[in-house]
Amino acid sequence: MSRKLKLSILFWLFLSPIVVVILFPYAVMTITSLKSATEVLNPNWWLSELHWQNFPEMWRTSGIAEALANSLYVSTLTTTLTTLVSIPAAYALSRYQFTGRDAFRQFLLVSQMLSPIVLVIGLFRLVAGVGMIDSLNVLVVIYTAFNIAFCVWMLQSYFSTIPRDLEEAAWMEGANRWRTLIAVFLPLAVPAMVVTAIFTFINAWNEFVIALTMLRTEGTYTLPIRVFSLVAGRYTVDWHYVMAAAFVASVPVAILFAWLQRYLVRGLAIGAVK
Amino acid sequence: MQRAAAPYFLILPSFLLAAAIILWPLKEIVSLSLHDVNRFGMLRDFIGMEHFRVLFADPDFIAATWRTLVWTAAVVLGTLIVSVPIALILNEDFYGRGVARILIMLPWAISLTMTAVVWRWALNGESGMLNSALRGLGAINTNIQWLAQASTAFPMQVLIGILVSVPFTVTIFLGGLSSVPDDLYEAAATEGAGTWDQFRLITLPLLRPFINIAFVLNTIYVFNSFPIIWATTGGGPANSTDILVTYLYKVGFRLGKLGEAAAVSLIMFAILLAFTIIYVRLAMREAKT
Repeated sequence: MSRKLKLSILFWLFLSPIVVVILFPYAVMTITSLKSATEVLNPNWWLSELHWQNFPEMWRTSGIAEALANSLYVSTLTTTLTTLVSIPAAYALSRYQFTGRDAFRQFLLVSQMLSPIVLVIGLFRLVAGVGMIDSLNVLVVIYTAFNIAFCVWMLQSYFSTIPRDLEEAAWMEGANRWRTLIAVFLPLAVPAMVVTAIFTFINAWNEFVIALTMLRTEGTYTLPIRVFSLVAGRYTVDWHYVMAAAFVASVPVAILFAWLQRYLVRGLAIGAVK
Repeated sequence: MQRAAAPYFLILPSFLLAAAIILWPLKEIVSLSLHDVNRFGMLRDFIGMEHFRVLFADPDFIAATWRTLVWTAAVVLGTLIVSVPIALILNEDFYGRGVARILIMLPWAISLTMTAVVWRWALNGESGMLNSALRGLGAINTNIQWLAQASTAFPMQVLIGILVSVPFTVTIFLGGLSSVPDDLYEAAATEGAGTWDQFRLITLPLLRPFINIAFVLNTIYVFNSFPIIWATTGGGPANSTDILVTYLYKVGFRLGKLGEAAAVSLIMFAILLAFTIIYVRLAMREAKT
């Protein structure tokens, strides 16, 4: 047996307990989502029949389609807005020396510590004060504000690794600063922008407490609130529908993530140190 | 002149947005915490530290504070201990490494709320699939009502907390390990250093800054983590699994005591700030020596 094969077996043996525990809830979710209404209260792991009808039934009754659209709207807009305001700030931090640069960095650090939950009372007053409870756009603005610090930080450290010589060479050739930015700098920064965009998207997609506080009517619910509302404060919970809904809400992002996670590791590696 | 103004224009949009959404509510919370406030959020008399005094006289608040410290310490330390060996393994070349990475990272991609809701179902006493799995394996004879008392609910919540914190932590460690040059190990091996010595003398010191980052960020995240406890027990039964965030939410939005809730917010912020300052100091002193 080759050394690599031996090591592989050893490593998988070591990883298997944690993999089992990680997969456990998602196995429960998948199996329950395929149980019939009569079988769902019976905690067996082997199904007598696969009840695929749960998915169309859940789709009709749970309002998940609307929540999916709301979540897509909020996450896409948050990602766009965050990227648009973070790139210039990160560029300024990595390419200019200016008074207040350190103060701005400190401000970002503190804003990382003030999570939405700590500020939720004040945020609620702010939003209620301008009469925008139940507005998805308010969520976009709040999510953007809380993602800026991380994105600027990540982008800034990545930008600092892009050698200045390239830009200076372009200036020598007679390109102005703006043109250099578009043609030379930004294309090199694409990997970092992709990583921060994924991050922001997933954060917005999964956010719970602000959405729980700001969204009061069912039509505006995002996915986490929708699924939570199928469980919380009810006497009877249709767990097979809840699990089908959770499945639908989780799987697309999980696939996207599995596909992109290698870039994430590389991006974080560069971003975390500097 | 134009050049000097450029960086300010570039940081302005992000600064304004973050300042409006973060500083304005902060100011609002400070003023709420010092005033008598009615249920509808109208400010009345200035009452100084009265809300804080009421809080410190509330045994639920004191209990939630201690539980928050236990929760944060248990989840963060548990995560770091589990993550180091996982990252070391995932950094090696072996069959199925790509699959292993995806599996370990999976909880990161799935909303904490979903994971917590699923666990709530899996931990159900009669119909929960954890009990049936454990019975099938012969580990238990009678069903455990996992979420019915804090003594079983809270450890489970800590376990869930660790599971969902591992992906982020492993990712940071993998980044750190990829920056360790291979020739260091080769040099150590020729000097006769064993695997354990290599880990202790090379890997661990080089991983140190990454462990520091993971420690600080995880502490902030876990301290503020709301969905796991809220979606599994809602802080119950009888507030016995409340941490500060769930306590804050109940006091503010269920009981409508906005002044006291604002005071809890400020106390939480003060704890985090103190932690960060002390830790950054220690880390810097260590870096110097």
